[in-house]
Amino acid sequence: MQDTMGNRTMSSPGKQRRRKSYLRRNTMAYWLILPSLLFLLAIVFYPLATGLAEGFRYHSRVQPWLTRFNGLENYVTAFHDHQVWLALRTSIVMVVGIVGLSYLLGLASGLLLNKSFRLRGVYRALILVPWVVPPVVSYISWQWMLNDQSGLIDLVLMKMHLVDSPVLWLSRPGLAMLSIVVVGVWSRFPFMMITVLAALSSIPDELSESAALDGASRFQTFRYITFPLILPVTVVATLLQAIWTFNDFGLPFILTGGGPANSTTPLILLSYKEAFQRFNIGYGTSLAIISMTLMLFLGALYLRMQKRQGVYE
Amino acid sequence: MSKDIAIDKQRTGLSRSSQQMAQDRARSATGAQRRLWARAESAGRHLALCLIALFAIGPLLWAISSAFKPDSEIMTGLSIIPSRPTLEHFSIVLRDSQFGTWFKNSMLVAVGTTVLAIAIGSFGGYAMSRWKFRGRGLYGNALLVVQMFPGVMLAIPLYLLLTRYHLIDTLWALLVTYLTFALAFSVWMLKGYFDGIPREMEEAALIDGAGRLRILWSIILPLARPGIVSVAVFAFLLSWNEFFFAYVFIASNNNFTLSLGMYSFIQQFSTQWGNIMAAGTLATLPVLVFFFLLQRALTRGMMAGATKG
Repeated sequence: MQDTMGNRTMSSPGKQRRRKSYLRRNTMAYWLILPSLLFLLAIVFYPLATGLAEGFRYHSRVQPWLTRFNGLENYVTAFHDHQVWLALRTSIVMVVGIVGLSYLLGLASGLLLNKSFRLRGVYRALILVPWVVPPVVSYISWQWMLNDQSGLIDLVLMKMHLVDSPVLWLSRPGLAMLSIVVVGVWSRFPFMMITVLAALSSIPDELSESAALDGASRFQTFRYITFPLILPVTVVATLLQAIWTFNDFGLPFILTGGGPANSTTPLILLSYKEAFQRFNIGYGTSLAIISMTLMLFLGALYLRMQKRQGVYE
Repeated sequence: MSKDIAIDKQRTGLSRSSQQMAQDRARSATGAQRRLWARAESAGRHLALCLIALFAIGPLLWAISSAFKPDSEIMTGLSIIPSRPTLEHFSIVLRDSQFGTWFKNSMLVAVGTTVLAIAIGSFGGYAMSRWKFRGRGLYGNALLVVQMFPGVMLAIPLYLLLTRYHLIDTLWALLVTYLTFALAFSVWMLKGYFDGIPREMEEAALIDGAGRLRILWSIILPLARPGIVSVAVFAFLLSWNEFFFAYVFIASNNNFTLSLGMYSFIQQFSTQWGNIMAAGTLATLPVLVFFFLLQRALTRGMMAGATKG
């Protein structure tokens, strides 16, 4: 009897006690995360799991009785669908154009504002306005400014005699894409500016001062000191922006409706159109899964960089 | 490490040329010239910033200005200040649409999202900041990953789920969805602020026998006020500005939010831009006021968020 008791204290009860005290220490934490965890599971992860199954089915709202598991058929169809390739190209052009240009503009504005002078706060607040205005409102305002009937931009261009007849900004494929990129940059560069300002404020002044004392030109200081130091932070923000731009439904949907002739339909909008307008729920979901897989690569990169910046400690 | 080395290398490279530059400067730059140069630089800075700021607020300014212009002036007028300002468009919008209801709906959902995102988010943030529980990394990553899922992917299954619980086409559908997306950043942001609060006070209170929730409420939250302000602004904006889920989930006019109402205006008023812009102005006003009141706190919050993620 005594022997077995002794043995137990040696092995499992010790473990159990440790386990118990671990749980007692952390029960509170588990209660605290419970509500948010429930929302995450119910609103994101459970629907996501059922949605994944949808991507491997033939499911059309028009003929629901034909719904069946069809393996990878949707993906084979997607691979041979030239619309998908066109949409993917559109997505890439949008992401590269919008994120790249808003990075440059955000960097420029951040650098211009990284010095205290009068009106600095005013400029900063004004530049943040696009970030606050409801996207539907701003896209509709842009749509009107780009309008070829009475839009401000064409009126100004014609008054200045730069063009004779109105430029059809939203109904010519190339110009529509250009408009999307400009409006996208407009709505995204304020975020980049704030990121750049935040990164700049964490650089000690002594660094650039001593570089200046050593006779470095402004450009040299930026090129070899400031820029390398802000790069890691801005890369993380850029990745996040790329993901958001790729998933942005509102911009093309409201500004151009994806037209003319699907020239401004990115993959995410095509997926929406398949699922909600053509009622091909299975096929539409499989396109969303394709874009999600592409984003997972960027996402993995994002999480890696976050971890390297030590957010967990 | 490597950064330091790079800087050092650069510094030695620079000091070689610094002598030349010092000579150059001594030869040419007199005090007056330098002052002139500084003034030119300041002017250039203001000019560039003015252009950028104009680009940023131009569309909104033009929208507001058109909202006050009579129809005859809208199609041809290039002036930003209406020559004969009128409130006609505003009264049409308020009379011929359910603008008031939409406004109320948007406000209900946004305020609900904001309050719950702070309450539930501060629980999660507190747990992440003070305990090293198993699964903490997973929980944190799950929150971050939520921001990367395409809405379209979630919309279909979520639509079916909400239908099953009779929440589709109600404001509750929007509330739970926006809340979940708001939690994705509010937990992280609040964790960041809580991390900065020293633990000594908490420990003293624990010894005095205060419970954790009480400590969170009466010690931690008051100290994290700037963080709460920025979470509030983010959550409010997310909810107020969201379009896609509202567009998929809400069908009846009574339950429209302002974003949906605005979108329906393009159909209803097609090319009556004056009316559309008046509605847009009204829809933007609350967020604009909110933003300018809390601008300082918000910028600080965004900057902290930008470096922390």
